[in-house]
Amino acid sequence: MRDSFHRELESLDQAIVRMGALVEQSTHRATTALIECDKELAQRVRDGDNEIDALFLDVEKRSLVLLAQQAPVAGDLRLIVAILRSLTDLERSGDLAYNIAKLSQMEDFRQSELKAVRALVAEMGRAAAKVMAAAIDAWAAKDERMAAGIAAEDDVLDDLHARLIEKLVELKGEDSLAPAIRLAMIGRYLERIGDHAVNIGERLRYFLTGDEEHLG
Amino acid sequence: MNDQTMVTGSEEINIPSLAGVAARRAAQDAAQAAPQGDSGDRSGPSEQPVFTVRDLSVHYGKNLALKDVTMDIRPRRITAIIGPSGCGKSTLIRCFNRMNELIPGARVSGEILYRGENIYAPGVDPVVVRRHIGMVFQRPNPFPKSIYDNVAFGARINGYKGDMDELVERSLRRAALWDEVRNQLKKSALDLSGGQQQRLCIARAIAVEPDVILMDEPASALDPIATVRIEDLMQELKQDYSIVIVTHNMQQAARVSDETAFLYTEVDESTAGRWGILVEFGETGQIFTRPRDKRTEDYVSGRFG
Repeated sequence: MRDSFHRELESLDQAIVRMGALVEQSTHRATTALIECDKELAQRVRDGDNEIDALFLDVEKRSLVLLAQQAPVAGDLRLIVAILRSLTDLERSGDLAYNIAKLSQMEDFRQSELKAVRALVAEMGRAAAKVMAAAIDAWAAKDERMAAGIAAEDDVLDDLHARLIEKLVELKGEDSLAPAIRLAMIGRYLERIGDHAVNIGERLRYFLTGDEEHLG
Repeated sequence: MNDQTMVTGSEEINIPSLAGVAARRAAQDAAQAAPQGDSGDRSGPSEQPVFTVRDLSVHYGKNLALKDVTMDIRPRRITAIIGPSGCGKSTLIRCFNRMNELIPGARVSGEILYRGENIYAPGVDPVVVRRHIGMVFQRPNPFPKSIYDNVAFGARINGYKGDMDELVERSLRRAALWDEVRNQLKKSALDLSGGQQQRLCIARAIAVEPDVILMDEPASALDPIATVRIEDLMQELKQDYSIVIVTHNMQQAARVSDETAFLYTEVDESTAGRWGILVEFGETGQIFTRPRDKRTEDYVSGRFG
């Protein structure tokens, strides 16, 4: 019976990797859709969020069943806690990518005065996807050193975000107001995706070390 | 199973051994009764252990059963001993009140200090040891007597001079059995349910006012509801007693105990000899969330054993 429990736990562990890959892809695609004004690609990101949400509900339900039926302890318990906590971060990140895709359908950001900020947003999109990829790689490898390195990746993203805000503040002209507000939101969403990825790295470190300071 | 009748009762207690223990118990009780800021942790690290075990080994004949166990049992806490079958859990708990010497060929080496005194020292009467350190067994083993007489048995033998009715009621109340049996104290103990019989055995054990209660799989013959009652009772009893429990049920150890000792079987391939060792001993929360030893991790998460 304990064998089937560990197989199920492994399957949930893999589901986190799968969700992470989907979130990374959505982040990347939502940014591309925005930069290239590809409304169809944006729609695919929005539709794709259903799969992330379905995975979220499935993994959450199965984790609760394991808690109830198997009373896991030690590393097994820490893994389920890490899965449940990371699950929320992934689901939220999926929603943020969805929001970016939705905003990109509402506005054309190809005006010439937005050229510099668009470049920054594109860079942020790549950076956010990279932080998420780093978290998922660390998770898949169960590597503490990789997990600890995620925060440094996220610093790059935070710097880009600060620069984006500066650039947006400098924009002039009434036509720029609506896209600037939307781009500020998008920048914020990408920055949040990075924070969620950092959280996932922390949950992983809790699982690996048992050190509760990483649960916070 | 001839030890089943060796409960806390004793034939004679006038042998002057463990003389210092009573005084130390009284002193500690007084210290404990003194007001303290935080009642949460009643047992500070500076408190003298109730048992100090050093390099304890047990042989049965030529066979080593338990090897080099070193641990401290803290007072007024529940200490669980877990581990797979044959790892020496029962052997270890039986050392705490010298029950092993009822088994022919058993030999104990190393040291067990009970509140600072070596209970295996020459001149120490095992019967006196067992009066301080009571035991409750896997199968409820009430005497074929009335409920009242079961509880009064040990006190009568010890020449108890106080109010026997009061002692019986107090013991049954402490064992959370009084309300169920108060109107049938003359009834045979054997008419009680298994769970009630086990609580009666606990009442009988505490009637002689021991310091420590050893429990060897006390709930393994009981249904889940009776088990919960015993577990709740243990939480009550640890206000006044130190409890050591052997259990096969890891979740039970996780639920009830403050500290957990994990024993495991070591095998000598060349001689096919097998004996128990203490692998890890620590706070129960730590053992079940982040065990230090890989063998503990594997055992508590069901990967072997």
